[in-house]
Amino acid sequence: MRRLLAATQQALAAPPRNPRMAVVIGRLLAIAFLLCFGTGLYSHFLQEPEPWMRFSTVPAQLYQVTQGIHITAGIACFPLILGKLYTIYPQLFQTPPVKGPLHLLERASIALFVGASLVQITIGLLNTYQWYPWKFGFREVHWALSFVVIGSLAIHIAVKLPMIARFWTRNSEGTRELRGEASDAAAPVAESAPVGGVTGRIFRWIDGAPAPEPAVSRRGFITAVGVSTATVVALTAGQSFAALSPFNIFAPRVKGTGPNALPVNRTADAAQVLDTAVSPDWALTISNGRRTVTLSRAELLALPQTTVDLPISCVEGWSQMATWKGVRLRELLNKVGADTSQGLKLTSLEKKGGYRVTQMGPEYAFDASTLVALEVNGETLDIDHGYPARMIAPGRPGVLQTKWLSKLEVEA
Amino acid sequence: MKPTRMNLVRIILIAIGLAGLFLGALIMVQKERPDQIVGVIVWIGAAIIVHDGILSPLLLLLDVWMRRAGRRIPFGVLAIIQGGVVVGAIMSMLVLPEIYKKSLGTKNPTVLPLDYGLNLALFWVAVAVLTGAACVLYLAGARRRAANTLTSAA
Repeated sequence: MRRLLAATQQALAAPPRNPRMAVVIGRLLAIAFLLCFGTGLYSHFLQEPEPWMRFSTVPAQLYQVTQGIHITAGIACFPLILGKLYTIYPQLFQTPPVKGPLHLLERASIALFVGASLVQITIGLLNTYQWYPWKFGFREVHWALSFVVIGSLAIHIAVKLPMIARFWTRNSEGTRELRGEASDAAAPVAESAPVGGVTGRIFRWIDGAPAPEPAVSRRGFITAVGVSTATVVALTAGQSFAALSPFNIFAPRVKGTGPNALPVNRTADAAQVLDTAVSPDWALTISNGRRTVTLSRAELLALPQTTVDLPISCVEGWSQMATWKGVRLRELLNKVGADTSQGLKLTSLEKKGGYRVTQMGPEYAFDASTLVALEVNGETLDIDHGYPARMIAPGRPGVLQTKWLSKLEVEA
Repeated sequence: MKPTRMNLVRIILIAIGLAGLFLGALIMVQKERPDQIVGVIVWIGAAIIVHDGILSPLLLLLDVWMRRAGRRIPFGVLAIIQGGVVVGAIMSMLVLPEIYKKSLGTKNPTVLPLDYGLNLALFWVAVAVLTGAACVLYLAGARRRAANTLTSAA
């Protein structure tokens, strides 16, 4: 068994599979993970704020940028994590497989780290096109795994810290030694006892291949990882970042598609509002304790109208700038005597769904650019974009830009 | 462990790490049913098996096969071709599930609006063309270097 493991490790040896390369790619991957984690925390608390939390309403594109980074960095993790795993793959066959309890823990933590990371980026990717071929809850598991991944990352860095320090720079002790060894790579490898049978034949087949040239192989590897990362980012990030949208040939969303030149997440049909949203009886109710105002769409249109440019920025990473026209929310709140320390409860016509009823903090409710929007991009709101009236506020996730508004209640 | 600065950092990192693992586990048991948690564990196990047991060995076989098949091809050219295959394969890994999901149907037409199959085919053509061009440039460079060496030797 040991001989088999040793032979496998030897067969897997390749010039890019060295600790310096693992450190170089590991650093990039750690940056991508931390970007995802930070922007993920921000997105989570925007959607489920603690009562004391207040958020910035400027710049209006804040969430567009943080969530665009979240998704784009997540996509960049695919080539980076595969590259990282490539550099360390022979470690899987280390002998002896387990040296003691601590070593077992270390190996178990790496297995958890690798598995959880792969699952995390995979379910995140599938979520960007609303595909859930599993029975667990996406949001809950993505949230829980983020702590597992970052926790295992911290443990992994702690375990490997001496190694990371030895190979941190081009001139670190370990890197220099590696270069020294590389120059006499032609030195014969210690002969290990031959392995028999079919496996032996496979090993001989592998050994019979011409050896890779170390320098070319290393440069080729790092170039392939770099080009892959740049390619996957360049050809998908256009769903989030306008500058890259001409190159968007693979992202699940495309800017400018859909009714009102705006992509749709949840349709009126899915929200079961096809009848209620076009009902002539529709009116928006605004209440503050016992004071209540009810306004029909015609009455809302008769109020002073404001035009703002704000993006719809979806949790799934896509975003779209649009020009909205409607009534300033704070003017409606003044009608019921709300003061600027009070938040809101928003209710949609939707029959069911996690975002039918949502909260809005006072920083958004009283922001000058927050509108009860009636038009978008010069047209009446499409029913899929929230006709007769929807909320649009700066720097909030799309799921909180409530469509098909029904009630606004000022919270005490 | 000696109380060096590095060991202090390591202890702090391990404490953060354990806290993260604990929190992750706590959220999992609070929010998910036992059968759902089993589902997550199965996915994690499957991810490890797919990577370590299927993708990586396949990659090794492909690499060895290319080196054996291309004994007379300069190693640089092989490396460029491998690079092209890697870029194409990783992009395909991200796009093939989109193609499949689109065939199952999406919740509305603005989800997966593109012809991803066609785009992926064109992408592979572009990768092939660029890889070919890189090989030609590499060989031209190699010939020039060889010529220079000969001239300086003479």
